[in-house]
Amino acid sequence: MIVLVCLESPEPGRAGRAALSLARQLAATAQIVALSAGGPVASASLELARQGGAHRVIHFDEPALDRADFFTLGMVLAEAARHIKAALVIAGEHSDNEGQGLVPAALAHHLGAPIVARVQDVERSTAADDAVVLTVRAGGRKNRIAMALPLVLSTSIATNATPVAGQSSRPGVETITFAQLGLDHSRVVPRPDLLGTRVPLAAPRIQYKSFDEVARMLLRR
Amino acid sequence: MASIVAYIEVREGAMTSPSRFVVAEARRIADAAGATVYALLTLGPCSHVEIDQLAAQVSAAGADRILCSSDEILAGVPLDVTHGMLLAQIAERLRPLLFFFPAGGVGIELGPPLAVRIGAAFFPNASVDVRAEDRTPEAASQRIVLHRWRAARDGQRRIDVADLERPVVATLAAATVSRPLGEACAEVEMLPCPEPKVARPRNLASEITAEDNAVELCSAMVWSAEPVSPAMRSALRADLPPEAVLVVDGETTPVSLHATSPSEIFIVASAAKTDDVYLPSQAPGAKVMRAGVPGHVSAAAIEDLAAAIDRARPASAKASS
Repeated sequence: MIVLVCLESPEPGRAGRAALSLARQLAATAQIVALSAGGPVASASLELARQGGAHRVIHFDEPALDRADFFTLGMVLAEAARHIKAALVIAGEHSDNEGQGLVPAALAHHLGAPIVARVQDVERSTAADDAVVLTVRAGGRKNRIAMALPLVLSTSIATNATPVAGQSSRPGVETITFAQLGLDHSRVVPRPDLLGTRVPLAAPRIQYKSFDEVARMLLRR
Repeated sequence: MASIVAYIEVREGAMTSPSRFVVAEARRIADAAGATVYALLTLGPCSHVEIDQLAAQVSAAGADRILCSSDEILAGVPLDVTHGMLLAQIAERLRPLLFFFPAGGVGIELGPPLAVRIGAAFFPNASVDVRAEDRTPEAASQRIVLHRWRAARDGQRRIDVADLERPVVATLAAATVSRPLGEACAEVEMLPCPEPKVARPRNLASEITAEDNAVELCSAMVWSAEPVSPAMRSALRADLPPEAVLVVDGETTPVSLHATSPSEIFIVASAAKTDDVYLPSQAPGAKVMRAGVPGHVSAAAIEDLAAAIDRARPASAKASS
């Protein structure tokens, strides 16, 4: 089984790190391929993947991807997943910057695969080769479910981190391009309308309240 | 007439409190802008009596009409593979301005795939403003504006629903609704559930985790930087009102903390730790407060808060406990 982990570029976000950590749970029985789309080849994301237990590390070398919207990025990542024949794709739920959280869903949409969010653990199914068993937090419960592949998983900022086993050698960085996937640049069309207008604004300051004020605020609820 | 869809999450047979708030917000917007509030119930196999009971709660929360699908497909974990096609069908039929999900995690699961499928914008942890726009000499028009923080907290994203000309799928914060906003008698329309196009998930085990459940659904959070003794913890939890939870740094399942969106967060810091803490995502309308005095850190802050709560509790409540 090939597992594709998608990392943001150039810096991995907290959720992206969690995605790599989740993928490592399958490292003994699957080939882990990390992919970072756009950005420079010497990026923190690619270095993290090289150090972090990936068997292959791929840089999607297309500067145009730096201005791609979530829908286009999802389409490109889905094409990359097909190209490397990934049965399972794992991505962080959202970036640390925009934080909208639509890339994994767009990826699943273009791949034609189901998506499961809030995944805490993943393991190979012992009952079927083409299935995985997931631990998912949903509906107020911790659930274990078996799902058939192909599948897209997203995970949030912290899952059960697995330590990186000592790697004898770090993989080199491979490169893929639009041409290899049969894509052309005209499909990279930013759609800022779906993001909304950006309003620069400092996060509100934390207000101080006396213990008695806090108590009254809590009890008046 | 325009429509707003409010997804109702049902846990252990009851409508969650963030779902009640989602209906209340939809009601507030619909009253100002002129729209119909549709509440959507997705249930496993249920009797008519159970559906009617839930529908009465949803209707009392402020819905005009209730859409309900009750099917074995919907019985397990709410995932896009089981629920997504139904949600997309409803969006296709009603073409809503807004499709709201409540806090608690269900919006993280179902919201993004729905938004992608129907070409909508997605606003997680949103707050909604309704503003009257002066159009003298014509009557004022109502603008519906959604806000959310960027994850980096360096600014907000805002969207005016009328300008977008597409629906907006949003998850809202959890907040308390103090009174019923409707009558308990809305009409229920039963909908068939489409069969998933791919293999359904197989549920192997499911375990209730009450503390995580409370954290996910809370509208107020007391966040303690320091460990809290078991005795103090149970005393505080007994004193806190429903929908308010005590979270001790490092103890709550991160995935639950990530799904919560309280409208009030009270930080109880100590000498050992600063405000550099991981707080849950917040809607722009949420308030974050720190208990204490600027520049002074109490060595026993949680005990100070417990004592303050005890002082503030009405005598009747003290007597009954």
